[in-house]
Amino acid sequence: MRRANVVSGVVLAVFGIAMLFAIIPWQIEPGPQGMMSPRLVPGMMMAFVTVLAALLVINNLRAEPDLEGDVSPISRGELLALIRIGAIFALSVALFSWVSPLAAGAVVVAGSLLVLGERRPWMILGMPVLLLLALWFLFYKVLGTAIV
Amino acid sequence: MDHLIAGFADVLIPTTLFWIAVGVTLGYVLGALPGLGKATGVAVSIPLTFYLQPVAALGLLIGIAKGSAAGSAVSAILLNTPGEPSSAPTALDGYPLARQGKAQKALKMGLYASVLGDFFSTLILIGLAAPLARYALLIGPVELCAILLFSLTFIGGLSGKSLIKGLIAAAFGVFFATVGIETETFVPRLTFGMLELDDGIALVPMAIGMLAVAEMIIQAGNVRELDTEAEKISDGATRDDRIVTASEWRRCLPVIARGTLIGSVVGILPGLGASVGSFLSYGATRRASKTPEKYGTGMIEGVAAAESADNAVVPSSLIPLFALGIPGSVIAAILIAAFILHGLTPGPLMFRQQPKLVAAVYASMICASGILLMVGYFGQNIFARIIKVPLRLIIPGVLLLCCVGAYMETSNVFSIYVMLFFAVIGFFTRKLDFSFVTFLIGFVIGPNIELTFRQSLQLLNHDAANLAKHPIAIVFILATIVTIGWIGRANTRKAASVRRQRRVRAGGQDNMQIQKGG
Repeated sequence: MRRANVVSGVVLAVFGIAMLFAIIPWQIEPGPQGMMSPRLVPGMMMAFVTVLAALLVINNLRAEPDLEGDVSPISRGELLALIRIGAIFALSVALFSWVSPLAAGAVVVAGSLLVLGERRPWMILGMPVLLLLALWFLFYKVLGTAIV
Repeated sequence: MDHLIAGFADVLIPTTLFWIAVGVTLGYVLGALPGLGKATGVAVSIPLTFYLQPVAALGLLIGIAKGSAAGSAVSAILLNTPGEPSSAPTALDGYPLARQGKAQKALKMGLYASVLGDFFSTLILIGLAAPLARYALLIGPVELCAILLFSLTFIGGLSGKSLIKGLIAAAFGVFFATVGIETETFVPRLTFGMLELDDGIALVPMAIGMLAVAEMIIQAGNVRELDTEAEKISDGATRDDRIVTASEWRRCLPVIARGTLIGSVVGILPGLGASVGSFLSYGATRRASKTPEKYGTGMIEGVAAAESADNAVVPSSLIPLFALGIPGSVIAAILIAAFILHGLTPGPLMFRQQPKLVAAVYASMICASGILLMVGYFGQNIFARIIKVPLRLIIPGVLLLCCVGAYMETSNVFSIYVMLFFAVIGFFTRKLDFSFVTFLIGFVIGPNIELTFRQSLQLLNHDAANLAKHPIAIVFILATIVTIGWIGRANTRKAASVRRQRRVRAGGQDNMQIQKGG
């Protein structure tokens, strides 16, 4: 965790500085004279984040290294799940825009079943149909409203 | 009292009771499934309530929160895998009881303790919130700004392992709340030219992303381990193994009373959370016992202590929300969106402006306690089977519901982008221990902090010396400083003690190796 803290602290400190000196001045106008600047609170928060991130880095650099080794808090499986499910969502959003919301929904269910290790064809085909039918029944019949 | 009777009249109709029962059942199932907590359930369900009457909608959400707090005991007892961290102490004695063939006894005691803790904590909420709100109305913007800062610091310090990380999460929460058109100068802030961001970032897609999608991704990364944890539990041969006997009731009632009190107090204090309540109650019961060494081997009092406190936290955590408008827990933060959506703005004024709706919320909370008892009692065997469904078949359905829920907030695909963006942030905040709870609470109270800060600057005439005219604000500013110092020191001591223990352990291992070598 020590190394993860140092890396995240550096990333956050750089992010805070970039926000303070580049993004906030670029994205927020100074505001009319005599009124509190709209930049004030976002700027204060980023200054706060930068200082705390620097403290996080310093504290962890000064701390003794773990005797049992510096184990990453994120496992390989979790990182893979993030990438794979992220890819499914990307595909689903593309299908939502270019094909239909129904196809997007089916891809979310079937894709995540595949990612999670499900290989039975009847389950991969049947579950999206069942879930989409259940949603249709809940919203269009029970609640009497359209989703899309 | 008249309002409360009118509230019951609104709630005791078949449609409202039906939706409360749906909420409790759904919550019970979500709570029972490891990894799917009340926050996920409530966040995903808010969009489903768009088309319900306000009382039914709020009843449904309250039902989910209450049901999942009770349901998390099922997997703790049967699988030794708590549905939520707050049920971890339940597993300490509940799982050994299940292995002794007394699963039904443990499940029943867990349910009864949950219902009693929840019911009496609801009464405390009803009794305390309105009087506290009367005092809150006397508070001005300067005092409110100081109270909000204190709450955020307190939550940031206690909800994670590191004070620095908690404060960073809180600052990010307030920062993201500033996105959108600024209300005083009408200057767009950090919208990057996207019109969808003019109204700011919507809470529901953000909460769904941070809580539900991020959690599902983490569960997906550990799905094999979770799916292999299901074990067969056999039922006991005698009737006494399946019921709670009169002598057990006599032993457990004082334990439940203590657990309810501890849970209610913990709930009122912002940021402590249900886990602190259930562990404190379990520890207190063990210390008070004549046979503390038997705890962890299947003591029914252990289940009663943990579950009563765990469930008492949910209603009492609404006290700061109702009295001051400050969400003390992540559930309260998410419920704010639902309350506002259905015409009830949490805060001291709601008792004056919407007394009937407040009374209906109270009545639905009391009814939810009764329904929880019925659903839990009659559905126990079914829920015990549901938790054995592999997680890989549950995650896809939850992900689909997340997409539908986020989309329905604005009927725009942009909400899905917001959900995905915050899912990634939620994933890293969880894994790197940056307290997503503090982030969400910071986001929810961010606009209020900024508004009261502006008003304070004007009232104080930009001169800090004028603070002397606001003693309550000074008290809370000092409390904030003391809290930072106190939590910072406690964290440093804890870290030093962990290092010492590791050194001792490492020294012990070295000695063993030397002895083996010799």
